[in-house]
Amino acid sequence: MRSLLTPGKLVLRLAAGLAVLAAVCAACAMVGSEHVCLSEALKGPGQAGGVNPDYEILVHIRLPRVALAAVVGAALACSGVVFQALLRNPLADPYILGISSGAGLGAMLAVIAGFNWTFLGRSPVGGFAFAGAMGTVWLVWWLGRLAGRGQMTGLLLAGVVVNAFLSAIILFLTSVARSEIVYSTIFWLMGNMTEGDFRVIWVAAGFVLAGIGVLYLLAGGLNALSFGEDDARSVGIEPARTRLVAFMAASAVTAVAVSLSGLIGFVGLVVPHSVRLVLGSDHRQLLPLSAVAGAAFLVGADTIARVVVAPAQLPVGVITAIVGGPLFLVLLVRSCRGAGGLR
Amino acid sequence: MRGIIEVDGLSFGYRKGEPVLAGLTFSVGKGSFTAVVGPNGAGKSTLLSLLCGSLRLQGGAVRIDGRAVGDYTAQTLAGKVAVVRQETGAVHGFSVAQTVMMARTVHFGALGFESAADRQAVHKALAETDTQAFADRPLASLSGGERQRVYIARAMAQETPILLLDEPTSSLDLRHQVGMLDLLKAGQRDRGLTVVAATHDLNLAGRYGDEVLMLGGPAGYEHGAAETVLTQENVRRFFGVEVAAGLVEGRRVLVAVGRFGR
Amino acid sequence: MARWWLLLLFLGVWMGAGLALIDGPAAGVPATGEAEAPLRIVCLAPSVTEIVCALGLADALVGVSQFSDYPPSVMGKARVGSFWQPDIEAVIALRPDLVVALDFPQQRDVAGRLNRVGFRTICVRDEYVKELFEAIEYIGAATARTAQAAALAADMKRKLAQIRGPQAADPRPRVLWVVQREPLRVAGRDTFVNELIELAGGVNAIGPTVQKYPPVGAEQVVGRQVDVIIEPAMGAGDLDGQQRTAEAFWGRYGAVPAVQNKRVYVICGDSVSRLGPRLCEGVSLVARCLGTD
Repeated sequence: MRSLLTPGKLVLRLAAGLAVLAAVCAACAMVGSEHVCLSEALKGPGQAGGVNPDYEILVHIRLPRVALAAVVGAALACSGVVFQALLRNPLADPYILGISSGAGLGAMLAVIAGFNWTFLGRSPVGGFAFAGAMGTVWLVWWLGRLAGRGQMTGLLLAGVVVNAFLSAIILFLTSVARSEIVYSTIFWLMGNMTEGDFRVIWVAAGFVLAGIGVLYLLAGGLNALSFGEDDARSVGIEPARTRLVAFMAASAVTAVAVSLSGLIGFVGLVVPHSVRLVLGSDHRQLLPLSAVAGAAFLVGADTIARVVVAPAQLPVGVITAIVGGPLFLVLLVRSCRGAGGLR
Repeated sequence: MRGIIEVDGLSFGYRKGEPVLAGLTFSVGKGSFTAVVGPNGAGKSTLLSLLCGSLRLQGGAVRIDGRAVGDYTAQTLAGKVAVVRQETGAVHGFSVAQTVMMARTVHFGALGFESAADRQAVHKALAETDTQAFADRPLASLSGGERQRVYIARAMAQETPILLLDEPTSSLDLRHQVGMLDLLKAGQRDRGLTVVAATHDLNLAGRYGDEVLMLGGPAGYEHGAAETVLTQENVRRFFGVEVAAGLVEGRRVLVAVGRFGR
Repeated sequence: MARWWLLLLFLGVWMGAGLALIDGPAAGVPATGEAEAPLRIVCLAPSVTEIVCALGLADALVGVSQFSDYPPSVMGKARVGSFWQPDIEAVIALRPDLVVALDFPQQRDVAGRLNRVGFRTICVRDEYVKELFEAIEYIGAATARTAQAAALAADMKRKLAQIRGPQAADPRPRVLWVVQREPLRVAGRDTFVNELIELAGGVNAIGPTVQKYPPVGAEQVVGRQVDVIIEPAMGAGDLDGQQRTAEAFWGRYGAVPAVQNKRVYVICGDSVSRLGPRLCEGVSLVARCLGTD
């Protein structure tokens, strides 16, 4: 029965994944539009009156950015796993239930209102985006419950409807708002990795890690739910409670990610799939390993985005789509061949 | 004598005014094998879903081991009742061993991993259902009949006193049909397993079941010992089919001939 | 159950450790208070580049934004990303003494981060002519060039008065400033373009609108009795060619006085696309189109 996951196997795979992630982060921190000399950087911040550019770029610009990309990538990949399990739909991604348009609307309203106060040195746009995302999640969940027994279908439909409705509002605001508001919102929505404050990243990382922890504890339930609600109940999982907690945790984790970095697509769709094709659907390893893979993937994609047309920067979402799409296709074809032609 | 499953005036309908089951009352003794038969739409699957708590009662009561089924949490009920369902659709990404191990979910440790006892139970279940050979193959790569045996193995690995099965032999070949029913019967004899199995095969129901519950939808129901319930008149009344009766090794056998069969 | 409490505990410890051990953002370097002129200046927008050069600091300029193209001497300077996305790494690598940015969210954030790293940064607004003069004064103060700034401002105001002077009495020509042809978008009342038009002696044909650069329909064009249509040229290309295309396009609006009197002009966009020291050139160019010079 060697296909069964053991704690030993999980720890080993996780350690290997984290080692790869660390290597990717280290490599990407050394790459950028400017050349940074490591030995110069290690001399520390500049003396009085001067600034050590190598140190500043490495420590205050690159490291926060790499850390942010890792946190966001882990969050999106992990919640992608959960949404695919809950909706039993391999095409689900974290934005399918309206989080994207909710966050976008929140961000846009913050920009329009022109708030000048800051929280921890950040503009309130991120906070409003988070509030918009969570508000939309509640709305979609509540609407989905009205559907009765076919709750997951109801949830999906509610998500599509709410997404469409909020997107229409965003379009309307875009057409009447002043142009700099429109531009600001568009650039924010396209995905950006410009957080510089380590404390914010640390707090966000804490929430994301806690969310992943919650979801890991539900992994057995998610496994059972993959077989359907009735089967899950027969083996002792309470489907409604597991679904609710998993849904809320995954949504909160996604909302944190979106509030930090805007909407970055493809990570939540491609990474869980790819990991699942290689390692199978046991959520006890799928969740943590997808998080690690998502972190590494987004760090790499972000590095490409800021280097390939330097000194300009591409939106990260462009790279995740261009790289993620074909990669996923290759994995899919290989797995279809491996499974003895069963489609 | 109180049965391990007691059904008292059960009613249920999917749509208002169209009850599928009405006023059903019977009890299942501990360690007995009850076969549930009836035509399509009579409510066999519905009854099993109601017994395991998947559907909510609309009238009457169902008691499992003395407690109302609605009072159990999913976790506690899973310690009493294991279910094998009719659909054998495949779920991608899980191997056979992983699927069977899922039955032990309630016993997993703090970090969600199984113990040696769980592994042993799974091992035994795979051996008994003759699915050891595909233990590490993906579930989706098996045939329908092989998958059905895997789901039976999963229910057995759950090690519960009650086993509910919905047409467990419908996709199996002859050898495995007999094999699975022998397995259930051995469980009943050796471990006091209580089995409630829905089936289309009246003769297997008669040969393996101690008691038979024949559901007829609007025509009502019959419950009792196998020989008393499985008669030509009952079959005519509930199924609307004329059957010929014969004797094989001293027990009645019912054969449907139809208009053109010989 | 215990597992969930353990998770909560982990979260609490994580947050506590983070907030206790990680320093918040640094205080930042104050913008003013330096008496000497900065030796290395980086400008994050083309208009700011022009102002800094006009104050005689072209030699001190070490980095400019991507589309800074005036005066010609800045073409050889290092580029630090675009107007919308300044490349913060490039700015740091140049070790500037002063970074001048515009005061809108993207650039404000970048300037804030640069400030916390330890560079002097100032943010200026220049969306309106009044703000332009304030910006010139502010930049002058920050670069210890107050005298030159005052002189520049006075010179510009004098030239503007000359242009505006003679025709205060005339009925002002109604101007349609076309930013984009399809869909038709024009400059509204709340823009610096509107100020250019008014300084040149004209009036915007479009009434007050919610948007700064609203899309308008054909009926507004016809209904507003437009006297002059001005289109800033796209890019540096063939002005004559663009003039011909424009006249061909506007031919369908035969009812509009501007078209009837052949007063459709495509002008070079450089001096009218940004508010900077070339304001007077822009205004006089517009005045020539309006026939008010």
